[in-house]
Amino acid sequence: MRGVTAGAAGGRDDRHGRVARGHGSGRPTPGGAPPSQPAPGREPRPRPAPSMAGIIRALVLPVARTLPWLPLAAGGTVGLLLVGVPRLVSGETPDRIALLLLRGAGLAFGLGLAFLMDDPARHTTAGVPVRRAVRAGLRVALVAPVAVGWWTAALLLVPAEVRPPVGDMTLEAAATAVLALLAGAAAVRMRDEPEPGQAAAAALLLTGLAAPLLMPDRWTLFVQPHADRWDEVHRSWAWLLAGAALVWAACLLEPVRRRRFRAVFASRH
Amino acid sequence: MSTLTEARPTSVVAAPEPRRWAAVFALARVEARELLLQIPVLFFSLLYVGYLGWQVWTSDREGMNAFPVLQDADRATQMPPMLIAVAMLICANRAVLRSRRRGTDRHFDVLVMEPWRRTVAHALSVVPFAVAVALAVAGQFTWQALKPGAVGHGSYAELAVAPLSVLLLGVLGVLLARLIPSSFAVPLLALGGFVGTTLLTAGVGNPRWMRWLWPVASESQAEPLPSDLLGRPAAWHVLYLVGLTVLLLWLAVLAGGGRARLVKAVAVGSAALTLTGAVAQSAGDSPALREARVRASVTPEKDQTCIRHDRSTYCAFPEWTGRTEDWAGTVRRVQSLAGGAAGGTPLTVRQRVEARDYGLDQASTFDPSRTPGEVTVGTRWGGNRIPEFAVGVASVLVAGDEEAAGQLCDARTVVVMWLALGSAPDPMTSLKNVRLDDSVSGSAIVLAPTHPLSMSAQQTDVVREMLERPRYSITVKVKANWMELTSPKTSTARAAELLDVPVPQGKEEEEDECGA
Repeated sequence: MRGVTAGAAGGRDDRHGRVARGHGSGRPTPGGAPPSQPAPGREPRPRPAPSMAGIIRALVLPVARTLPWLPLAAGGTVGLLLVGVPRLVSGETPDRIALLLLRGAGLAFGLGLAFLMDDPARHTTAGVPVRRAVRAGLRVALVAPVAVGWWTAALLLVPAEVRPPVGDMTLEAAATAVLALLAGAAAVRMRDEPEPGQAAAAALLLTGLAAPLLMPDRWTLFVQPHADRWDEVHRSWAWLLAGAALVWAACLLEPVRRRRFRAVFASRH
Repeated sequence: MSTLTEARPTSVVAAPEPRRWAAVFALARVEARELLLQIPVLFFSLLYVGYLGWQVWTSDREGMNAFPVLQDADRATQMPPMLIAVAMLICANRAVLRSRRRGTDRHFDVLVMEPWRRTVAHALSVVPFAVAVALAVAGQFTWQALKPGAVGHGSYAELAVAPLSVLLLGVLGVLLARLIPSSFAVPLLALGGFVGTTLLTAGVGNPRWMRWLWPVASESQAEPLPSDLLGRPAAWHVLYLVGLTVLLLWLAVLAGGGRARLVKAVAVGSAALTLTGAVAQSAGDSPALREARVRASVTPEKDQTCIRHDRSTYCAFPEWTGRTEDWAGTVRRVQSLAGGAAGGTPLTVRQRVEARDYGLDQASTFDPSRTPGEVTVGTRWGGNRIPEFAVGVASVLVAGDEEAAGQLCDARTVVVMWLALGSAPDPMTSLKNVRLDDSVSGSAIVLAPTHPLSMSAQQTDVVREMLERPRYSITVKVKANWMELTSPKTSTARAAELLDVPVPQGKEEEEDECGA
């Protein structure tokens, strides 16, 4: 992100006015040289407006380098350990336990994903012309293949004979992951927090532990395989996934102006 | 003058010592306020308060909340605050790591306050929450104990578990922050610990010592027992929790750089306390306790106190003697509908418990008593237990003893149900509740304190018809035809004729079913 920061022209802290203005033409290309006065005697050459593809291409490497890989790796490792160790130790897993393990693994990876929006340089990059949605979307796009590979590995670690329905479990894991992303994005949006990961992970973990205990039977999302309500409950999971994705997308838009409750919480950590 | 100038420095030198601790308390106060404003803590605290309020203001479906058994009510206070405790673990951890996250660690190095005092202050910031939970628990228990129907004795040690758990997990969060200063370690550790222990429990079978290592040791138990038969090492468990909390706190102080000899001595001492508590609580039931459980289950009369109300005798375990008046009210109500000698038969109502299965999951049923005129009653009361007991009383009045009452299949079942429910405040609801499938038509099993009764579809029709008619008209007919109605030779159809209610259809099949 360093190159992007340097490429942002103006140097004004205008992050709240930026959305309305959009990308003005004549701005230097992200990743280009720091703004400097044109050399005397030479006409400043107007540069072409950067295309979105160009911006993204320029961003991929810096974003990939600054992604919080460590929490993701830790979450993924814990998840794989949860699924794998019982198999190594006892050889066979009852299907009720296999379901719990897969859900636990999904939550563990979700805890890692909750740190995805962590960006220590958030305040310094707030002035760049690249929208937050693009930056966050890029982060998610970079992590997505890892997540898919990890989930496949987790599913394969569960013996085939006790594996719960793969599609439905993937739906649950995807909903958990989107909820994790949502927690991080919401913290960024509401509190302007540069590193919301810890708060988001705490919220996700407590939700994950409390929801199975506290949800009334009628609305529960956590059922055993072969239960009559399995399909019905997974339709609810699909709705949850869709709703969380929508709210997440809404959280990616930068607020046009500060709200009052943000001012209250902004001083909190 | 010289004395004055010499006296001053001593006072200046003596002053800083108490003020250091004042700074610790000031920091603890600020941190406690910060903790309260954390979303998880705030949310689960509000949820807990809401849960307590919901318990107070809503009437329960089972109807047994008006008759709490205090040796169970004290344990019921332990689980609800656990979510606050977990929130404490995570948020206290975050609070300690805040300076690292914000890059202000190095500013603290220039302060007079040592890092270990900061650690103590963070641990102390959990104390107000533990105190608040203690007050809530005390309030919840007092509310139960003040109910007129409350019986038994609570235990202070059981009540102390919830606040101590909140404190323990908060201190654990502080310790983990000092040991692993990473923002993502604790949520993952908590999740891994939770799922891992669930697996371990499933794999190893949850032996006693492991169950009691948890902050809250829950043991399954179907029916309330007299408090001296429980055998829960609650006091040892409190010692274990206190020792563990102090040990974790002092480990955190050691990790924070505290090196005073006192600190090490306290750490060793608290480790010894924890170990003592853990070993003592893991010891199994003593032979004397097992013997007492067998005695209470097999020969309850040796432990019981008997009280006479009217003509009948009521034998209860000492903690339940206050409830005999409630039982007597039900017996009086049932006998008021009976005719012949049954209206005045002296009964013996005996309370029974099955303590031998303590800790096992399945509830055992009582074997019916063969003593004539003896009715069994359990340790719970209120709600559905009242019509069930009324069915027990009525079947003994009609059949003579509980053993015979289990085999009723003729018109006597109709009489039993009429006696049991005829004078109930809401007979049709009681009929529905006392039947296992909650129906008011068709054949069904009827719950009773010992073996259940069975009702055929025909008998159900007659009983329903009787309960829907004015009580006085049926009462007169039952009393007038008492001898014939309670004879084993009378069929349900004949009883319907005698009582002047429509004779139900399909009587041939019914006669075959009875087989008598």
